[in-house]
Amino acid sequence: MNQRETVLTFLVAGLIAAIVCMVGYAVPVWDALIGCGILVFITLLGIWLAKIIPGKLPMVFWVSILAILSSTPISPVADFVKEYTTKVDFLAICTVVLSYAGLTVGKDIVMFKKMSWRIIVVALAVYTGTFICATFIAEIMLHLEGII
Amino acid sequence: MDVLKNWKIHIIALILAIISELIGVKKIPVGPGVLLFLPMLYAMILGGIISWPKLKMIKAGEMKHATSVLSLLTLILVTKLGVIIGPSLNKVAEAGFALSIQELGHFLGTVVLGLPIAIALGLGRESVGATFSIDREPNIAIIAEKYGLDSAEGRGVMAIYICGTVFGAIWIGLIAGFLAAMHIFHPYALAMGSGVGSGSMMAAATGAIATVFPEQKEQILMYAGASNLLTTIVGIYFCLFVSLPITNYLYKRLSPILSPNRLKKGGASQ
Repeated sequence: MNQRETVLTFLVAGLIAAIVCMVGYAVPVWDALIGCGILVFITLLGIWLAKIIPGKLPMVFWVSILAILSSTPISPVADFVKEYTTKVDFLAICTVVLSYAGLTVGKDIVMFKKMSWRIIVVALAVYTGTFICATFIAEIMLHLEGII
Repeated sequence: MDVLKNWKIHIIALILAIISELIGVKKIPVGPGVLLFLPMLYAMILGGIISWPKLKMIKAGEMKHATSVLSLLTLILVTKLGVIIGPSLNKVAEAGFALSIQELGHFLGTVVLGLPIAIALGLGRESVGATFSIDREPNIAIIAEKYGLDSAEGRGVMAIYICGTVFGAIWIGLIAGFLAAMHIFHPYALAMGSGVGSGSMMAAATGAIATVFPEQKEQILMYAGASNLLTTIVGIYFCLFVSLPITNYLYKRLSPILSPNRLKKGGASQ
């Protein structure tokens, strides 16, 4: 995807997320639009940084750094960012993301149907393993640290 | 302009998301826990049905476009989590040690549970590719470079990748909601566990946990976001330098014990 394409994609996706916020979470129109606008803006800026800063760090890294920095207490725009982005529910964005995720399933379904039940059992074990092992260790560590 | 050419997919995504939100959260008690159905799960399933090749509602090119849109969109989730982490960065830093150590669970949990099962079910070297990591795009790149995607290891990693696309988020969302409702683990621990390093799986798990514990939603999103960030960034290096060698070592050790027949038939390398 070229740059114009990326920007346009985000504008479309941001608009969809804003509409879902309005319809599903009763967020006022302007709050939803501004909130999603801020999220899209930070994301695009992060993608751009990942392109121009040498070192080939992944986009996730720069997007996260920017998002975190923009909302830390030292940031001059922290209040503005926080006020509007809290109105965009995390779950609303999830629904939009998984709508697209669902629409990509079809291209893999032919391959999927050829798979044996064994590999499906292994896949379930892999996902369960990573989630439960990490949760288990986190539970112990948080107790040891006295956080919970 | 691909976005405008593929307008149909965006309209469908919007309609699916709205329908899913209007259905709302549904809970079905099962045994000691609860099966929690969130709007995002309906969105995923409805999308899957619409994209079913036999229905011919969506063309292959449009699905390809949706895939590239999806990889960008997950970044908005990352941003949303980032702006939640920012205001309480000191809290995240306080839990920094716990966050770092639990990453071992993310990286090695796939091997610990997956590898013995894979070997016992009779998979050969496929089990190494299948279980050395959660098998998303960066992990495929590692296997592709080391063994090639035509190898047994390559087939293993691709198979789990496809399973992940088809039902990964649904599965992990359901087990996260189920475990959360059982109240064995603290919501913060579950939140950290949710940061599995795949955008849609993380979303499904975190959403489920936040729905079970609505009063701690902000902290849950904060810890999940921080954990997912660590998994994504450290993951590539950890999988390459630690997980893969460990998986290979364990495969050699466990195969004779768990799958002795395979060795007798001389098929251990296959």
